[in-house]
Formats: sequence, C-alpha cells, structure tokens
Amino acid sequence: MVGIFTQMMDAAAAAPDKESAEAALAFLAEMSPDLRGAAILGPEGKVLAATEGEPERWSEDAETLFADADAAEGVPVEQIHIATEQGEVFAVRNEGLAAVSVTDRFALASLMLYDLRATLRELARGAGGPS
Amino acid sequence: MPPKPHRVLLDRVSGYADEAAAFMRRRRVPSRPFARLYYPHGRSADHAQDSRSGAELFVAAGRLIEVAGKRQKG
Repeated sequence: MVGIFTQMMDAAAAAPDKESAEAALAFLAEMSPDLRGAAILGPEGKVLAATEGEPERWSEDAETLFADADAAEGVPVEQIHIATEQGEVFAVRNEGLAAVSVTDRFALASLMLYDLRATLRELARGAGGPS
Repeated sequence: MPPKPHRVLLDRVSGYADEAAAFMRRRRVPSRPFARLYYPHGRSADHAQDSRSGAELFVAAGRLIEVAGKRQKG
C-alpha cells in the first residue's frame, strides 16, 4: 500500500490530524450536493476521514484505483475521473495527501476536482477546509 | 398578413420539442461511461471501457461506488 502513496510529492510532510481531516471532509460534503461519499487519505494511504463505509475499504479501493491509473501509462496520475452508469468517481493526489469522492451521475467534474484539490491544499497548510 | 393563431401555437410547441430533442442528444454523449486520467502539465487521457486499463479502472471505480453506498435523500 505504501508504494502507491509514496509516489505523492512531499509524502514525508507531516500528515494533518484526524480532526482537521474530518472538518475538511464535512465542509466538502456541505459544498457538494451531488456527493455520496468521500475519503481523505494520508501520506501512507491511511484513511484520515471518511463519510460512510469502512475506512479499510476506502483505503484498499483507493489504493487499487491509483495503482490501476498509474499502471495505465506507467506515469503517476494527478487526477482521476471515472463516470459509470451507477455514479462518478473522482480522485486527486496533492501535497502528499489523496482524496477520493463518489457522486451522483452528471456531477460537475471541474468543480468537484477543484474542490478536492482545494481541500487537500488547505488541509496540508493546516486549515480545516477551503477558504 | 399575421399568421393564424393555431399556427403560432403549433410553431411554439414544435420549437420546444426541437429544443428538448437537441438537449437529449447533447446529454446522451456525456452520459456514456468513460475513464479519464489527468497527468502533470495538464495532459489527460481517456481509456475505453473495453481496453485492459479501462476495464481495470471501471472495476476499481465500481468498488468505490459500492463503498460509498446510496446517498441519503433529504
């Protein structure tokens, strides 16, 4: 598991605490009406906060998603957007952290990716959510 | 000479129907499943569902959708 997440930049940077991650996730959920669920992962792929579901499964499935995405062209990806009949999945790696979200279909992709990036950036800086 | 009133109504109804049809056509394109990966420097790449990499991405996404579960309405 560590392998996938050590590809993230600044992985050695201090991980935010659980409370900050939970506050950031709550803010993200409040901003995104299409959001079904999301998780924020620390530098080693450990779940810092998750909306619902088992944290271990968020961690495992996010790891698989990033591993498959990195393997597609042999280059680490920055962002992932997968739209299926059942919903849409967004994933972002930034500032040594990762965020994964699941939304209803036809969610505004650019907004969701921007919000995920902003959440991670602010979290890495020590704030609880995008300002 | 002004058009007959029922003509105006018919034109308006068929105009709305044309608009709705065009909207549905546009909606159908993004409603197809896709997997898009974004790389540094703004590059992106689409992976078809029937390709090996695409199939793996869709399976991984399906698992995450399952974990997230259904959204609580209201």
